[in-house]
Amino acid sequence: MIRLACVLVLMSLVAVVLLALETTGPNAIVFSFVGAPLLAAGVAVYVFQRWREGAFRAPQPSPQTQMRKEF
Amino acid sequence: MVVPALVILLRGLKRGRLSEAAGATGLVFLPMAAYALSVLLLMEDSKRVTFCGSCHVMAPILKSLSEDNGALSSIHFRHGRVSHEEACFVCHSGYGIWGTVGAKLAGLRHMMHTVTGHYDRPLQLNGKFDIDSCLSCHAQAQAFRAVEAHQAIDLQEALMSREMSCTGACHPSAHPEEAIAAGAPAS
Repeated sequence: MIRLACVLVLMSLVAVVLLALETTGPNAIVFSFVGAPLLAAGVAVYVFQRWREGAFRAPQPSPQTQMRKEF
Repeated sequence: MVVPALVILLRGLKRGRLSEAAGATGLVFLPMAAYALSVLLLMEDSKRVTFCGSCHVMAPILKSLSEDNGALSSIHFRHGRVSHEEACFVCHSGYGIWGTVGAKLAGLRHMMHTVTGHYDRPLQLNGKFDIDSCLSCHAQAQAFRAVEAHQAIDLQEALMSREMSCTGACHPSAHPEEAIAAGAPAS
């Protein structure tokens, strides 16, 4: 999954480099209609992968904390 | 900004994993910052005449600016009445901040028409031309005010209500017909 996200974001950065080298209509089209969706997809894949790893879940209380609360 | 992102991305591609900090930086923060800066670059550089003329359908119009063809655009361009760098934007953006916003939205629509090939020739202006672009320069000029026709109240009212435009009845067309009709066929 991380590899897929990296490939998508790498491809989107190619559009950025093309636009920076030469700001023309065709490069603007690639930037807007190819690069931007690729970046969005890459970020979405990365966020999904992090979510699967449990990055956005609230940390579970340790057994000791739980015991203290009950006490 | 792009180079550090590339280094991180190539590393992630090779290893198949990235630390939390490297992932957030290389996959999210740096690419998004690069895109945000590129949008600013695009907003500014898309005002240039060379940008407008870089699409094949606009190339004949760009070429006609330098020709002595009697069209208003040619007269303004050849006599240095508009900036040679931003001539298209000066006349087509409308007046004021909303004119700029409208021009950028129109540019986005132009790109979509180019991608989908949904446009017909001869090219036609979408809606009426905003004569505030003309009046913002001419209205206060002595030469403009001295013309008898410009002093007529009914003409001024017709202009202000947009019933009448500068081109057509009184002044020559903005671009030559052959330039508007020319260009590679829509794909």
